[in-house]
Amino acid sequence: MTQVTFSSWGRQVIDNRQGGDAEVDVAKKKLPISFDGEKNIAAFMGWDGLILHDPQVDVVAMAAEYAKRVQEDFCCAKCSPGKKGTRVMQDTLARIIDGHGEEKDLATLENIAELMQNCKCTLCMTSAVPVVDTIQNFREDYLAYIRGERKPKGNVEYKVKLTAPCQDKCPAHIDIPAYIEAIKDRHYDESLAIIRESMPLPAVCGRVCPHPCETACRRANVDDSVNIMVLKRTASEYERQHNLQPPMLPKEKKNKKIAIVGAGPAGLAAAYYLALEGYSCTIYEALPEGFGGGMIAVGIPAYRMPRHILQRDIDIISAMGVEIIYDTRIGTDISLVELKQRFDAVLLAPGAHRSKPMGVEGEDEGYDGFLAGGIDFLREAYMGKPTGMGKKVCVVGGGNTAIDCVRVALREGAEDSILLYRRTRKEMPADVWEVDGADDEGVQFEFLVLPKKIVVDENRQVTGVECVRMELGEPDDSGRRRPSPVAGSEFIVECDTLIPAIGQDPDLSFITEDTGIEITRWNTVVTKFVPLKSAAGRDLNDDMGNPLSRILLTDMDGVFASGDAEIGPLTVVACVGNAHRAAKVIQRYLEEGQAYLTDDDFHEDILSHLGVYDKHEEVPWLDAVARFNQHEIHGKERASAGNYEEVELGFSDSEAVQEAERCLRCYRVSMIAV
Amino acid sequence: MVSLTIDGNAVSVPKGTMILEAARQLEIQIPTLCWLQKISPTGACRICAVEIEGIDRTMTACNTPVKAGIVVTTQSEKLTRIRKQIMELILINHPLDCPVCDAGGECELQNTCYDLGVNRQEFEAEDVNPGVIDHWPLIQQVPSRCVMCEKCVKVCHEVVGANSLFVNDKGDKAFIDKNLESCEFCGNCVAVCPTGTMISKPFKFKARPWALRKVPSVCTYCPSQCQIDINVQGNEVFRITSDDAGTTNNGNLCIGGFFGYGYINSSKRLTSPLRDGKAVSWDSALETVTSTIERIRQESGADALAGLASPRLTNEENYLFQKLFRAAIGTNNIDSEARFGALRALSALDKGLGLRGASNLISAIGDVDTVLVFGADPTAEAPAVDWQIQRAVRNKDGKLIVANMRRIKLTQFANSQLSYKPGSEIALADGLGRLLVNRGLIDEDYLTRTVANLGELKDQLAAVDLEQVVVTTGLSLTELEAAADLLGKADNVAIVFGADITKSSLGTARSAAIANLAILSGALRGQGGLYPLDEKGNIQGLLDMGVCPEKLPGFQNYAEHKAKFAKAWNCQLPSGGKDAEGILQDIETGEIRFLYLAATNPQSFPNSGRWMKALQKLEMLVVQDILPTEVTRLANIVLPGVSFAEKSGSVTSLDQRVRSLEQAIRPVGDSREDWDIFAELYGRLSKTPLTFSRSSILTELSSLTSLYGDVCFTGSDRHRPCLKQPYRPVDKNLHFQLISVNEEAEGLQLLSGKSSSHFGTTSTWASGPLEVEAEGLIQISAEDAQAAGIKDGDQLKLTSTTGSTTGKVLISGTLPQGLLFAPYNFTELGIQQLIPDGDNRTTVQLAKV
Repeated sequence: MTQVTFSSWGRQVIDNRQGGDAEVDVAKKKLPISFDGEKNIAAFMGWDGLILHDPQVDVVAMAAEYAKRVQEDFCCAKCSPGKKGTRVMQDTLARIIDGHGEEKDLATLENIAELMQNCKCTLCMTSAVPVVDTIQNFREDYLAYIRGERKPKGNVEYKVKLTAPCQDKCPAHIDIPAYIEAIKDRHYDESLAIIRESMPLPAVCGRVCPHPCETACRRANVDDSVNIMVLKRTASEYERQHNLQPPMLPKEKKNKKIAIVGAGPAGLAAAYYLALEGYSCTIYEALPEGFGGGMIAVGIPAYRMPRHILQRDIDIISAMGVEIIYDTRIGTDISLVELKQRFDAVLLAPGAHRSKPMGVEGEDEGYDGFLAGGIDFLREAYMGKPTGMGKKVCVVGGGNTAIDCVRVALREGAEDSILLYRRTRKEMPADVWEVDGADDEGVQFEFLVLPKKIVVDENRQVTGVECVRMELGEPDDSGRRRPSPVAGSEFIVECDTLIPAIGQDPDLSFITEDTGIEITRWNTVVTKFVPLKSAAGRDLNDDMGNPLSRILLTDMDGVFASGDAEIGPLTVVACVGNAHRAAKVIQRYLEEGQAYLTDDDFHEDILSHLGVYDKHEEVPWLDAVARFNQHEIHGKERASAGNYEEVELGFSDSEAVQEAERCLRCYRVSMIAV
Repeated sequence: MVSLTIDGNAVSVPKGTMILEAARQLEIQIPTLCWLQKISPTGACRICAVEIEGIDRTMTACNTPVKAGIVVTTQSEKLTRIRKQIMELILINHPLDCPVCDAGGECELQNTCYDLGVNRQEFEAEDVNPGVIDHWPLIQQVPSRCVMCEKCVKVCHEVVGANSLFVNDKGDKAFIDKNLESCEFCGNCVAVCPTGTMISKPFKFKARPWALRKVPSVCTYCPSQCQIDINVQGNEVFRITSDDAGTTNNGNLCIGGFFGYGYINSSKRLTSPLRDGKAVSWDSALETVTSTIERIRQESGADALAGLASPRLTNEENYLFQKLFRAAIGTNNIDSEARFGALRALSALDKGLGLRGASNLISAIGDVDTVLVFGADPTAEAPAVDWQIQRAVRNKDGKLIVANMRRIKLTQFANSQLSYKPGSEIALADGLGRLLVNRGLIDEDYLTRTVANLGELKDQLAAVDLEQVVVTTGLSLTELEAAADLLGKADNVAIVFGADITKSSLGTARSAAIANLAILSGALRGQGGLYPLDEKGNIQGLLDMGVCPEKLPGFQNYAEHKAKFAKAWNCQLPSGGKDAEGILQDIETGEIRFLYLAATNPQSFPNSGRWMKALQKLEMLVVQDILPTEVTRLANIVLPGVSFAEKSGSVTSLDQRVRSLEQAIRPVGDSREDWDIFAELYGRLSKTPLTFSRSSILTELSSLTSLYGDVCFTGSDRHRPCLKQPYRPVDKNLHFQLISVNEEAEGLQLLSGKSSSHFGTTSTWASGPLEVEAEGLIQISAEDAQAAGIKDGDQLKLTSTTGSTTGKVLISGTLPQGLLFAPYNFTELGIQQLIPDGDNRTTVQLAKV
């Protein structure tokens, strides 16, 4: 059943009910055939129309159920057309289904749909879209009900989920419209409580998140996206600045124990949610006390993520009863097998802290001034250890770590801090604002250069790096233009320190063969998943190429994996989202003896693969208030030697309220019939 | 400025203005239902929908800011249809009980429907409204009448800061619900409700709004002196309302203002003069008073007579009271309860700063950068100050420091809560001052220009030992530094202090320490201010009128200026004079044989037991009051005065505004306006019946004092409250006061203070506040309760050196270990018996009963 019977998705009607095999791109490529690997998706109803696979689906009954769920489960009641309009819609449809409808009810429904165009947000407004589609395209089915010729068949299973473009795009699926609405209403505590439902490190993700949500913000279709990240910071700062006690109360203690490897974002997040459920969690962290936080700590310099503020988020988790054992490395101090024996479940979240080799001549020679790697440099600087850095520092790479390295180099006292990157500024994977930040601080950039060979003096001290100029050719798989060397363009960049920062890998040496845990060729932990295929026959994968719906259980019973070591090196927010799911799966495993995904998990994955945001959508709205960006310290002084003061300063409360007012609250409801 | 076009008319408005307000400038009225000026726009009702050229949907005028060049249409067929249909949606299942609905006649829903011509209903839906909520005290909620405008929710959250109301449930079942624990029962939700959803239970079914006469007046429960309308029918007060527009309180009221009027028409009111408990005629009662005065004066001299006046009386009444005693009776033995608080703040502020009250308007607090609330609970002592603090710190990014032994409501909004140890106020103020200097947060130029004794200031601060401050206050240096930074880095600072400071035995020294901090932090310049709070309604007027032995009206030194008054009054003025403490002693020794208590009740004085005992020794006790108390029972003569609703006159708010009371109802029974009683006594005693009128008193005041300057008395025009001479410190005229006293509190401490639902003892006669707080409870920390083995509701006996009492216990998270709190308002609990003379705190022993 890969054929679409009817689709109005994207405001384009494809009707194959009378035969024909017109294709619907979204249905073919974006949606899986089955909801959960077993039950097929019969119909999909949402904010942008209806996709009908199975012609047997009673679309009138589905529309009635959709309207009911919108009104009873999701409508916030905070505007009159929404509160009352969806009620009229629900009751009118219910009347039709009950056989008491009249033809004029159909006109009423269309009238209500039009009135709901005046709603405060898009939840109720968009809920009318598929309902009207069914009235306009399945009128005969409605009339059959109205004439009393049809009765609902029942036993249809509907899966319903509330989403929003930003929430869907956020890897942690934070209920962004809700937390922004709470800020709008000056309920900072409530805002933070909403954030914490999906993000236990709000102070962190309010500062250093690459905020993919903002790339799916519908306000951008009007003018510019809402400053979602800084609003999160506002909510978390309010609690801190008012010395308020976090309100979380863990449930009654359960008698199951979980060990977590690594006190990074994934480990901490999983511990947070498991502790809330009443489980005893013990985190083993290789670094000493005071350096918890994993990559957030040793990978993100303090001028972006002040230590005391990160520590507060960690302390809050500790205060919930999570034990963190520092200075203990799994594989060295305790073996993984032993850990598994001592605990009911184990979560592996060791992160990705091993620098990748650069492939430059001389890198294995142990020259003075050639440092092990960007991430090692950042860690040592963070921990106040000698880094081996000189005065003229070259960093090789184009990602956030490379940028952090050149900026930290300035703060560690470098006179020159130079970034070498083989493509141009435009292709840099680092976040634009990070690159701009480096620029602001006086970092020098050498674009379109590829280091070939380390140049040293007679004392084996680095004196420079020989590079070759590059030029950009055709785009590669990543869509970025592929650089290639320009013959004969070799030149030397003088420096006394060379830091390769071209990426990092997980160090999985602690996962010994006797565990039976499989590891991918990208050095990540293999976890179990539910295979989902599109109608076009392709496996559905996430953006990192991993299977879409993963259970996060490794090949060893009771051992789960999460974070960078499971996904591949990514972001704090991705690790948190992934760990939150791991926590839920671990709970199911501990309580029911089985690790599995729920309908809600599948629905979440299906929507994120489908994409809730449409960058081409015309959004009618008056662009009266421009995006507000947070205050920032500018100038080179902010990166002077030893100055790790925070660079970005957040919003005042009233600025936050003003920015929150820009949010269009783009909620929408998805319903899948299986 | 942003220029735009609305309905073809060009208009320019400041950036950030909403389309609705821009249209109003053009006198274009866009219909609204959920819009309310004093809260942030909600955009809930959607009937203010307008069209904007180029935008393919309607936008709501109330919450859409203007943009340059936009072309807005507010009237069109399409918009009319949308507005009417949205109103029809709102009206689905709205009950048709308008005839008995409390809002009938003043219902915005009715008015809007009428204006929009909504006269039919096209839509239908199942009625899923939840039932009436009747279990809340004082307020009933009728969900079926609700239009979900959220005005109540927002006023509760944004203006009052109680954050008690919220939208519960989803869809059409959604309704306004309440967290009862945080409700302040201020009634503002009732006041802003556009329909009959939020109903005042005491008012319900009592009267039709259109049948009520609204008399503009002033609430005298606290010194905020909110401007109100007394709603009257016949000779009865039915409710109190307040307009948003044109009032200093912006239409906001507290539990006292909104629900506290019940005592006025109480059946217990004293309605006739009493002699030895029996009703007598006015003539006979006054004859007894005058003849006794004359007899005692002859036998023992005028100094055997004394009187205490009250902040419940008007300016004119207090003026007449002191004149009566000084000129007609011939003694300067006059004082009031201000002796136990407000006078201490006054003397410290006057001495150090030349300040005699608050230095700025209450409304100025709402605009400052940092507010320091020191030893005060503004929510209880002067709610309008709380609302301004809400505005400053919650709407305008101001910072808040709360220095208080207890956690108070404002603590939750504080950037710094300094929970200092009892008795360590001076150390805390000194420590903050020292830290301001240490951290380079003082303005040297400003201090050099304004302070007379800069050298002493520096020496005194240099001598402050921060380590000792940490030990004394029990606060960490980090906490103190953070607070000093908040105080020192602000451009405009407001310092509010209250009863914990002024009513304590070292009240004058503690007030002086705060005056010093005000100098250092710059609270006396710019838009900042220093605000001494005293919970009693006309305390400022009482102080202004010189009802104390040391001052004449207008703060003129008695000894120095009495000749001027003697001349004006054409009499000899006595010398000497005893204050309240002296009067008490002299009663005990028998030297004072006659006491006149005018609208004041010693049961609420510290060491009240000693007072009550002394009253029994008097040869004659005259009590002028409105309700029967233990004190009226002891009185030989009871003269029934009246409540604020029955009198006219002026009162002065804590921020120096002079406002008029308008007589709303006739005095109940045979009671008489208090000034009328004083005037008649004056006439009888001086044998020259003088005719007093308000204007003659004010003319006399103007000629004898410089209190008012060019003050304009505007009679009943409440929209123009008059300001006394504003405070302007002169260069080199601020004096840093040297303080050497200190106190170390030992043992379990009992603090007495004001309840947040009651005002003096008067409101304990009003059913509204009683419904919320029926009795005085002894509040105790969980730690102390556990140590003493007591639970909530247990009976606890407290004993101090002056007395003991028994009361019910409330375990409260607001108290630190070692501190108990009890409201003084309830004479039944009688906590003031335990409090030593002139104090508000004592060491107590507790025992479970």
